[in-house]
Amino acid sequence: MSVSDRFTAAGLDIRPTRHESFLAYNRFRFLRWATVLVLLSIALYLGVRPYGQPYGGGWAGYTLGTVGALLILWLTWFGYRKRTYNSNSGRLAARLSAHVYLGLALFFVATLHTGFHFGWNIHTFAYALMCIVIASGIFGIFAYAHYPRQMTENRESMTTAQMLGRIAGIDDELRNVVMPLDDTTVAAIERCIETNEIGGSAWRQLSGRYPRCTTAAAIAHMEAIAEGHTIVQEAWRQTLVKLSEKAALLARIRRDIRFKAMMEAWLFLHIPLTFALLAALTAHIIAIFFM
Amino acid sequence: MEVEVTFLTRRGAAVMRRSQRASAPRIGLGRGTDNQVPLADIRVGLHVATLSPRAGGMSIEKLGAASLLVNGHSVENASIAPGDEILLGPYRIEVLETPEGCDGAIQIELAQPLGPALERVTAGARIGLERGGGKRIYAWTGFLLVAVIALGAPLVIFGGKLMPPWHRDNAAPAVPVAIGQIWDTGEFSNAHRFFAADCATCHQGAFQRVADNACLACHAKVGDHVEHGMPLGAVGERLSSLRCISCHTEHRGIQGSVIHTAGLCLDCHRNLAETAPAAGVKDIGGFPAGHPQFRATVVADAAGKTTARVELGTNPPPLDHPGLKFSHAAHLKAGGFPALGYKEMVCADCHVPESSGQSFLPITYKNQCERCHELTFDKVALPWPGAKVPHGDDIGIIAAVWNYYAGLALQGARDAPRGLAEPLADRRGVGSPGGPPAAPPAEAVAWVTDKSKTALGIVLDDKRGCAYCHFGNGANGIIDSAKLLASALPPRGDQPRFIAPVELRTRFLPQARFDHTQHRGMQCTDCHASREAQISGEILIPGIETCVKCHGTENAELRAQSTCITCHVFHRSERGPMRMSQETRQ
Repeated sequence: MSVSDRFTAAGLDIRPTRHESFLAYNRFRFLRWATVLVLLSIALYLGVRPYGQPYGGGWAGYTLGTVGALLILWLTWFGYRKRTYNSNSGRLAARLSAHVYLGLALFFVATLHTGFHFGWNIHTFAYALMCIVIASGIFGIFAYAHYPRQMTENRESMTTAQMLGRIAGIDDELRNVVMPLDDTTVAAIERCIETNEIGGSAWRQLSGRYPRCTTAAAIAHMEAIAEGHTIVQEAWRQTLVKLSEKAALLARIRRDIRFKAMMEAWLFLHIPLTFALLAALTAHIIAIFFM
Repeated sequence: MEVEVTFLTRRGAAVMRRSQRASAPRIGLGRGTDNQVPLADIRVGLHVATLSPRAGGMSIEKLGAASLLVNGHSVENASIAPGDEILLGPYRIEVLETPEGCDGAIQIELAQPLGPALERVTAGARIGLERGGGKRIYAWTGFLLVAVIALGAPLVIFGGKLMPPWHRDNAAPAVPVAIGQIWDTGEFSNAHRFFAADCATCHQGAFQRVADNACLACHAKVGDHVEHGMPLGAVGERLSSLRCISCHTEHRGIQGSVIHTAGLCLDCHRNLAETAPAAGVKDIGGFPAGHPQFRATVVADAAGKTTARVELGTNPPPLDHPGLKFSHAAHLKAGGFPALGYKEMVCADCHVPESSGQSFLPITYKNQCERCHELTFDKVALPWPGAKVPHGDDIGIIAAVWNYYAGLALQGARDAPRGLAEPLADRRGVGSPGGPPAAPPAEAVAWVTDKSKTALGIVLDDKRGCAYCHFGNGANGIIDSAKLLASALPPRGDQPRFIAPVELRTRFLPQARFDHTQHRGMQCTDCHASREAQISGEILIPGIETCVKCHGTENAELRAQSTCITCHVFHRSERGPMRMSQETRQ
């Protein structure tokens, strides 16, 4: 029994002071539960063979199907409960840990329930939706484990607001240093200041690619006119220095946005497809017992 | 010229003015520091306009492409007077009254200042994927889409009975069928595909399992598994509680709707000897292991037409008692029978496949034996050709021989008594009434009797005659010709039969089916040890040990996969219908 267990048992909900990953929650308690569930399912699948090929029916099939359906409902309920932070029914980390491991176990339970029969119908469609939801969840685990560290390293202890503020500062400085330069150059710098291309469409955020970046265009322009500016050489040099600083800062903030988007994007599959899955699951169950 | 230039700056309610004088032949305005009036905003061109002196005032001229508005009109150049308003990019320029010593005065105000830089940068950034409740909209859209297509539409189609009845001669409408297929749990068996568009053929009510009646609509004559009325106790109840769909599944692929798993049969047959002794079948635990040795049904007594079940695979092999003396080995003698002019025999000389090829036509004297075993008696000891006894007619044999000699007597045979050939004096026309025919002369009867006895002695004997193949009704199965001939001549209609009846079976394993066409590639002798079968009645049906050389379990990898229904049939039509319609459970 761990220390935290004892305190919980005594009615003192003392949270561990050291950070504990939700994956390792309570010494992998839910991983153990999930493993037991998967092993039981495999034993049921192998041990209780219906006449003919295994399929979703038969008592083994119905048991696996019922367990799978209840798991889906419970895992979906988690998404709802996650929003109500003042709930008393267990810690968020505990529920997230259970959500992850039982969600992974669901894949095995449901796959055994199919009896490995697939077709172009609502039944396989529901299974496919479930697989995509689980796969997106797995990506979510990866994202939560991977990107926060990347983000910290990338930001170098700057906040988003600080980075944006610095860009604004550079913009102001650019306005000053570009004054003596010719109109075409000023127009390019003006575009660079007016349009920063920070974030944007989902694809921009996820790919981190900004082909119409005005700063990059301005740098290209500056390099193109590098010759023949002896009089305003200093202005040209300072402008380019500022532009380079802005470009580096933009690259950093765009990486930051990309990491954030990656951590967010999987939810756009995970949540909507869960809802579609609930409808498909209902149709699956009704179809089976209606006919 | 000299112009007084006032820069006006507003900070909230406060207004600050900063004036300076610009002096030059032409006063330049623009971003460039070489202008007399520099406009420090990058939205303004390096040189955008010039002011020139004019009689009684100033004029303004546009330089470059940026627009120049004087009192709201876009101009290239214009005279300006106090009170005029000039818009130059973000700047508003007002022409003031000309002070002393100057050619003109203007007041410049940055009318459209750049917004606070951070606010602008922040407002321009679009961070985060969520846009106006995106996930929620996608979620509910997906939910509704799936619910409508996969749940609502099929419910309407099935509930509204919009599926086309298969038996009507109309093309299935595509949309209901397509939506119906959304619920389809798997591929249809080939046999049921022709009506598969109409779910209601089998699924006759909502939330009901497929009723037997739906099956019986087409399969009414399917046979029962056990004899009707056989007391089988709990097993019998279990059997009769089975529904069609207990053993026949649909939507499990094109290969068919029959479950092949041995377990389906073994669940009852594992311990039937205990649970249902009346069935009289042995316990079976599987195949090959667990399957008892085959039992053949053989003739126990041909005369009484009784049969017996004997176990195969014994040494010596079990015997059939068909009432014939027959040796496969003697017939299959190497080199044949050159003395008689017969070549070496093969199995197919006698065993002719029936049209389906599964089994063989029954063995008959006419089709199989007569070619070699003719029933002539002239070749043996008698000099007269054409003398033949009938097969299968005991009285006929005696009558044939008697009549043969009687005929010879009438024709005046060499050693026949004289007088018989003389025409009778009292001849009447055919059909005319008269008394009983005159008795034949006693000496002629004695001659015919004597000749017949001699001939029948040969015809009935066990070297050349009936007893060569047949048993008799005498003691120990002999044909007691001496006793028979003492009383049988001249022949009478009430003469008792003297040849023992013959009972040849066409099937020795009636509880199984064996398809010879499936074993076409094999040689007969691969399974049937015919050349070694010396003893009459020796059974050549192979035992289980022969089958298991090639046949394995239902999951065998290196043997033919074999399950119960590979050899056995569940529905036995000879046992009456499996289900009466009124017995059908819903």
